[in-house]
Amino acid sequence: MSHAEDNSILVYPSPDEIPLFVKDLLQNGEEVVAVVKTDLVGGDYGEEQVVLTNRRIMVVNEKLSNSLPLSKVVAASIRGYINTCVLTVDTEEGSNSLAVFTRGRLEAFDKFVTIINNMVVGKIPYELLKNQLLSKMKEGQKQRSVRAAILRLLGLLKPIAPLLVASVVVAVAIRLVGLVQPYLMKILVDDVLTAGRADLLIYVIVGLLAINLVNTLLNTLNAFFGTKLNVAIVNTLRSRVYRKLHELSLTHYDRFGSGGLWSRVVDDVNRVQWFLTSAFIPLFINASMVAFVGVTLATLNLWLTLIALMPIPVSVAGNLIYRKAASRYYHRLWRKWSRIVSVISDTINAAILVKSFGKEEDFTKKFEGYQTDYERAQMDVFKFEQQIWPAVGLAFTASSLLIWWFGGHDVLKGSMSLGSLMAFTSYMWQFYSPVFGLIENVRNLQLLAVAAGRIFEILDLEPDVQEAPDAIDVELDGGIECENVWFTYDGIHYALKGVTLRIRRGERIGLVGPSGSGKTTLAKLFLHLYDPQVGSIKYDDTDAKRIKLNSLKDQVAIVLQNPVLLDATIADNIALGKGDVAPEEIIAAAKAAKAHDFVMKLPEAYDSEVGMQGSRLSGGERARVALAAALLKNPKVLILDEPTAALDALTEDEVTEELEKMTKGRTTIIIAHRLSTLRFTDRIVVMENGKVVEEGTHEDLLQRDGLYKKLWEAQLRGLTRMTTIEANEQVSREEYVTQVQ
Amino acid sequence: MLHKFSELKILEPSRVRVSEARLDEIDVEIDGELIRGVRPRRPFPFSYPEIVILYKDKEELGILRDYRNLDTRSRELLEKVLKVVYFMPKIRRVLNIRSVEGKYEWKVITDKGELTFFTWGRCVRVLRDGRLLVRDIYSRAYIVDEPEKLDNRSRLYLSMMI
Repeated sequence: MSHAEDNSILVYPSPDEIPLFVKDLLQNGEEVVAVVKTDLVGGDYGEEQVVLTNRRIMVVNEKLSNSLPLSKVVAASIRGYINTCVLTVDTEEGSNSLAVFTRGRLEAFDKFVTIINNMVVGKIPYELLKNQLLSKMKEGQKQRSVRAAILRLLGLLKPIAPLLVASVVVAVAIRLVGLVQPYLMKILVDDVLTAGRADLLIYVIVGLLAINLVNTLLNTLNAFFGTKLNVAIVNTLRSRVYRKLHELSLTHYDRFGSGGLWSRVVDDVNRVQWFLTSAFIPLFINASMVAFVGVTLATLNLWLTLIALMPIPVSVAGNLIYRKAASRYYHRLWRKWSRIVSVISDTINAAILVKSFGKEEDFTKKFEGYQTDYERAQMDVFKFEQQIWPAVGLAFTASSLLIWWFGGHDVLKGSMSLGSLMAFTSYMWQFYSPVFGLIENVRNLQLLAVAAGRIFEILDLEPDVQEAPDAIDVELDGGIECENVWFTYDGIHYALKGVTLRIRRGERIGLVGPSGSGKTTLAKLFLHLYDPQVGSIKYDDTDAKRIKLNSLKDQVAIVLQNPVLLDATIADNIALGKGDVAPEEIIAAAKAAKAHDFVMKLPEAYDSEVGMQGSRLSGGERARVALAAALLKNPKVLILDEPTAALDALTEDEVTEELEKMTKGRTTIIIAHRLSTLRFTDRIVVMENGKVVEEGTHEDLLQRDGLYKKLWEAQLRGLTRMTTIEANEQVSREEYVTQVQ
Repeated sequence: MLHKFSELKILEPSRVRVSEARLDEIDVEIDGELIRGVRPRRPFPFSYPEIVILYKDKEELGILRDYRNLDTRSRELLEKVLKVVYFMPKIRRVLNIRSVEGKYEWKVITDKGELTFFTWGRCVRVLRDGRLLVRDIYSRAYIVDEPEKLDNRSRLYLSMMI
């Protein structure tokens, strides 16, 4: 179970929020910056306060158990284990493990660590840090009760309020009209047939006809409003969420994953729509029905009404028991079913594996076993249901028999008319269903609040990369300055640790280093897809944060390692980076990216569709289309992340040659594993573990006995080995030919 | 512009004369020099059908920005070849579309006569200008030029497939 306060972090708490025993420890002028609570003490559950002040980090367990002055702290981090995490602080003397907590508190400690690092590593001016934290803290506090969620949802749906009201009114009206019919039947039996008032017959018949006509009309209206409302709810909510998707930063996409976001936009919106129409509107209908029918019944016969109420508690109890246990039974049924599905899917998707290992018999046995399990589970569901519903049914039968017994006596005695008894039994059944409906509605309202809450979670996200209000359009010149940049995706692992890099206008930089050394992250920061947590990136002396995002993206182009293409034509994909594009420009860009020849071999050439995510093209072809798109923008700064990774050696050579031509005089950052791609760069920057470790020309770097030399030698060895293998193959082929001859 | 257009070898219509057309090849004179067996290709067969690139074997001879500006005879000869290379019946009426064993059987009337063909479920592509491209199970394409001008019945059938 996770509670809301699990991950709370107190930032600049007011005096009454600070525990007394912490307050006592504070020295003169010492200010509490943040407080987090652990849920473990050593290896047992317990609670400790970890307090960050402007001077030190304290661990307090009723009394001070550890204290470390910030002046000694080099950096803070979190070590993660299976369930637990340890807050660790590095000092010059070594590392100190300060506190342990379960992963349930990770989010809070994450923030805590980032704050410490901002102070000691980023050396952010204290006042700035304080202002930032105080302003962020205010945003974070949001209430999440069922009522609040539903009220907020209704607020969102304000534009379709008239439709919502109309739907409720029509639906209630249908039920009310339905109530008149039994009453007319009562008149028919008592006043017309029994009392022999032939003159009234025509009125009753016309009345019945009118009610049916009105009913038909209302039902049509109801269906019309219902359909319209469903579509309107979904469209209103989905376009809100969809618009929000574009505002989100890439960090949010990383956090929720594409599947998570997908389910919010598609599934949760559908769920809200379903609960709204199946819980919220029926709530009004059922409540008004219970009131109207209840009063009518009581007026007809109070004693019988009490008998009619009898089975309700039995039924409610039956329902509650059923719901509690049914979820277990049905979950089991579903688990059994999903095992069957997974065997089928393995058999089909991994057919080669099954066949090559001769596992057909095993699979069949497994499959049949699962089938039997499923059958058993299905029977269990049946048995379970048989234990509940017959009992509930019996309660209803008993109550209706009692009504006929006592009511029958009343009619025979003459204290109640036959028509009234018939009307009573007819109303009685109209009373039960809204009562049960209400119980269901209340439950669904809670589910509605959950689904709505998941949507609000997305709507409430604040983009990390926000354009400053005074952001300006800037004509870039091509110089980039990267000053002590620290960046982390998750708050724990720093992908960049104080990177400082100056790139001159028109300079061509090669960025090399082992996987995970931070090259791609740095490239993404250059495009301002993320903001560094510490440090700054400047374009010709203007901080990236002060440049309008669109202005930057018009002038900086990036080609990603595994380029993503849109499900559109090749021409559309190339023209993506620019508005109005002449067909000649598309061809020119494609030629520069060495894409033209393969495109022209396709029957539909540039009008060919690339399929979902470019699936109809090969990796190399996708890379070349993406490169063409980047070139078409004619960017001031070009960032290429492994531009030749997916290409064969021959094409790589051609593309490299072409790259050399078109990057002349243009600031270019090329990330490459194959160092041969970098032969034309002016300078090579070597990164390792989030830091710049070497810089210089190819020759300079080879002279030093550093990482670059190692990488270069490793690649040379690989090449030599390949050449040797090829040579050997050649020899053995020749031998073979000689032997045959 | 990063890539100079001059590198694109644009062919001015006045420099080009088509003298012969055979199925998918033409003989063409460029600046008076006769080149036989030239293959015209459209880089944008749907979005800019007027642009044609001429190929001799694998070599690109140049780009005709708008082949319709060629002299009448050249234009007629080139169009004769383009008609073969970009053969594509135009659907004028949809008589029936019915589902047969997981496929769809289309009965249509085209500018080339009445046709029956089969498609998979996802077979209609809406081109940017609103035209529809229908692809059958052999990947043959049929085009619907002005879908909104078709008769009601045809439009109803088509809307089922989009």
